[in-house]
Amino acid sequence: MKQLALIIDHYACYGCLACEVACKQENGADFGVKLIQVGEDGPRQMNGKLDFLFDVNACLHAACEDTPCVYACPDDTISIRDDGIVVMNERTCTGCEACVPECPTDAIRINGNSMITEKCNLCYHRVDEGLMPACADNVCLAHCIYFGDPDEIAAEIAQKRTLLRA
Amino acid sequence: MPEFKYSNAEKEVEMYGYDEVIKSHCRMCHGGCGVHIYKKEGKIEKIGGDPDCPIAHGTLCPKGIASTQIAYHPDRLTHPLKRVGPKGSGQWEKISWDEALDTIAEKMNGYKKEYGAESILMGYGTGRDNESVIYRFANLLGTPNVLTAGHLCYGPRISTSVITCGSIPVVDYESQPDCVMVWGNNLVIANSDEYKGEALAVSVDKGSKLIVVDPRMTRLAARADIWLQLRPGTDTALALGMANYIIAEELYDKEFVANHVHGWDEFVERVQDYPIDKVSDITWLPEEQIKEAARMFAEADTAGIQWGVAIEQQINCADNNRTLIALMGMTGNLDKKGGQVLFENAKNRNASEFGAHKLLSKEQRAKRLGGDRFRLAGHFAIINPKCAWDAILTEEPYPVKMAMFISSNPVLTRANASEVYKALEKLEFMAVADFFMTPTAELADIVLPASTWLEMDYIGDFWKRHGYILARRKAIQVGECRSDHEMLNELGKRVGQEEYWWDDFEGGLDYILEPLGINFQEFKKMDYIRGEVNYEKYKTKGFSTPTGKLEIYSTMLEKWGYDPLPKYVEPHESPISKPEMTDKYPFILVTGARSPGFFHTENRQLPWLREQHPDPFVEIHPDTARRLGISNGQWVSIESPRGKVRQKAKIFEGIHPQVIGAQHAWWYPEKKEGNYGWKESNINMLTDNSYESCDPAMGSTSVRTLLCNIYPEKQGAK
Repeated sequence: MKQLALIIDHYACYGCLACEVACKQENGADFGVKLIQVGEDGPRQMNGKLDFLFDVNACLHAACEDTPCVYACPDDTISIRDDGIVVMNERTCTGCEACVPECPTDAIRINGNSMITEKCNLCYHRVDEGLMPACADNVCLAHCIYFGDPDEIAAEIAQKRTLLRA
Repeated sequence: MPEFKYSNAEKEVEMYGYDEVIKSHCRMCHGGCGVHIYKKEGKIEKIGGDPDCPIAHGTLCPKGIASTQIAYHPDRLTHPLKRVGPKGSGQWEKISWDEALDTIAEKMNGYKKEYGAESILMGYGTGRDNESVIYRFANLLGTPNVLTAGHLCYGPRISTSVITCGSIPVVDYESQPDCVMVWGNNLVIANSDEYKGEALAVSVDKGSKLIVVDPRMTRLAARADIWLQLRPGTDTALALGMANYIIAEELYDKEFVANHVHGWDEFVERVQDYPIDKVSDITWLPEEQIKEAARMFAEADTAGIQWGVAIEQQINCADNNRTLIALMGMTGNLDKKGGQVLFENAKNRNASEFGAHKLLSKEQRAKRLGGDRFRLAGHFAIINPKCAWDAILTEEPYPVKMAMFISSNPVLTRANASEVYKALEKLEFMAVADFFMTPTAELADIVLPASTWLEMDYIGDFWKRHGYILARRKAIQVGECRSDHEMLNELGKRVGQEEYWWDDFEGGLDYILEPLGINFQEFKKMDYIRGEVNYEKYKTKGFSTPTGKLEIYSTMLEKWGYDPLPKYVEPHESPISKPEMTDKYPFILVTGARSPGFFHTENRQLPWLREQHPDPFVEIHPDTARRLGISNGQWVSIESPRGKVRQKAKIFEGIHPQVIGAQHAWWYPEKKEGNYGWKESNINMLTDNSYESCDPAMGSTSVRTLLCNIYPEKQGAK
């Protein structure tokens, strides 16, 4: 089955934050809970020069190698679908937070109000109807948010990079 | 597995059961981005992008998506109010539109009779597609005094372009320039005019070379082929230095300068004053870097300069712009496909004609505040704010008694906020139209509830220069809110302007479109119209200037008694011009770097956007912070000779150790006491608005280049 991931081309991201609000609009996460979160990396010395990138943090789904959160959860609240979407069922989450430190990209949030954990479920309710996840639905002015098969996306980004100084 | 298609409106409707999708164009900044508005049971549920939009191709920004949080905000003004307690007391009473408009009209008629129409100040903030309607009202009223952001934002680009080359040159992103030099603009974050960030992002991704001129590191700067981190306020020196190098190396377009430039020889002589070594000293930039950038820009087959507001908020405002136009011209990029084009609008009535400037009498025009001092600004109906505050406070050259501000919050956005506040407190009568109560609105006598872009029909971008007009369609009605143009349409009829307004404002929209042979209902079905795109029009028609040429040597400025050639002037307050101040104020302060979710004073009450940015922050280099004992996230005091404010320190290596970058327009809608904390973090408590600190032609205030001190806030102090 085709695998589905959310991949951000961080090189192309300008930090416009539209993805964060598109996610809020769709998923209505509480104030203080961002299922997709744009952070700053730098400015700092990288490879011998001062550089500055944005670091967009959300669950990688099919692009996450071991999906350790799925195995860390004692209650089977987190599952991985055949298409690679990793779904956290907020209704069965007890808030034990066992998954939180396991996430390799630090993409699981603790909701300070409900004290349960939340993460990006890749808008599977939309995906199942043939709609793109909210953040990936062409909102990004840098066109740096990709949804789909991780290998195809990697090839697409590599192809895009070849245009630079061609 | 389903096929995925982005912005799939049909499927959205099917899945979520929306009743309706309305295509429109956002105006959370100046406008331009096409959207789908999804409605269910009369309420907007979602804002999505419209991929058919030629400006943004369906991409959005945080503000656009969060528009619904303004529309339905619990604190939204939904009916007219009149103040019943002292100014700033927060005591208001609901009144009808008729009572509100009758009261304002009665005051206007009264002051006009007693003190002349010039005693009435009309005002708006940044451009919200309402400019020409407000000018129309003011000109018909007979007041030459419309106080806008025009002295320091976009107005200078309009004014300097018109006198130098006839119209604003806009980067031709649709033809993929080979090189873009972004100068004082972060359009992927900011609320840019004409094209939005997507156009630049796509160009750069497709291989346009990128040069960024900015004292702060942005992602654009980090990604650029060359980042010129200049000393704040030295832009004109840098541009003249580049011109010097391009001329010395003969990298300019010889045919163009020989046939289409007025004053080339004089300009060549002038730039001899700016050799690269001297420019390097002035700007803090390495000589080689300046040369490399000049060469990259000049040698590109097609290149454009994406210029922004930062270069306008300086004493060199007009000359900054004019030198950049000279660079565009001398490299052969002006009006060239893929370069920087003087786009023509569709043949609708333009903003200037709709603004009825010709109906203001010569006698009244001569009374424009500051018109004799800031003569370039005065010619374009723009006034310097201090001229207005002085007229209110000192009644010189005549008294200003009344003001009406629409979509403007000058207490936060104009230089020297203490003086602004004092002036607004002294006004005998003030009306304000806005979405929310604000520190400015609290000083008003009448407050009018304004419609957001979701609640109006309009012809979007009709005053911009990319050549597009865009349909904005009313999707909802909130309370008794009215659009700016609808309120002026009704107010105009109450102050003797009946023949110039319409039954309702759709008549005004039809009037704008009339030369195209269509009405607004027909335009709505068309989405957008673009004027004909023609390049190198100067070859047959010349430039629309007095000499018909690109006036690097400006005959207009000369006529008004200014230096006709651009030159660099040291900022009014810098370590070089005011060395005696540096003991007490050792740092250069730049202000106003943009945050994605805010548009100047707007949106701090919207949860989705405030969550992204809860506090104002001031950027400080790690070495400087360490030396001063300032840690990341700590509240600090920033101080200038005018005042002191508090913001949170953000340790930021992308700024020079001697430069501090503070945020602008901060107030706290959640603080109901003390007029929303208007003084607390408002950077304009620190800025200077003295006449000698302003651009002598444009009256632009130097809100981006001043001296300051910064230190940790004392424990418990506030």
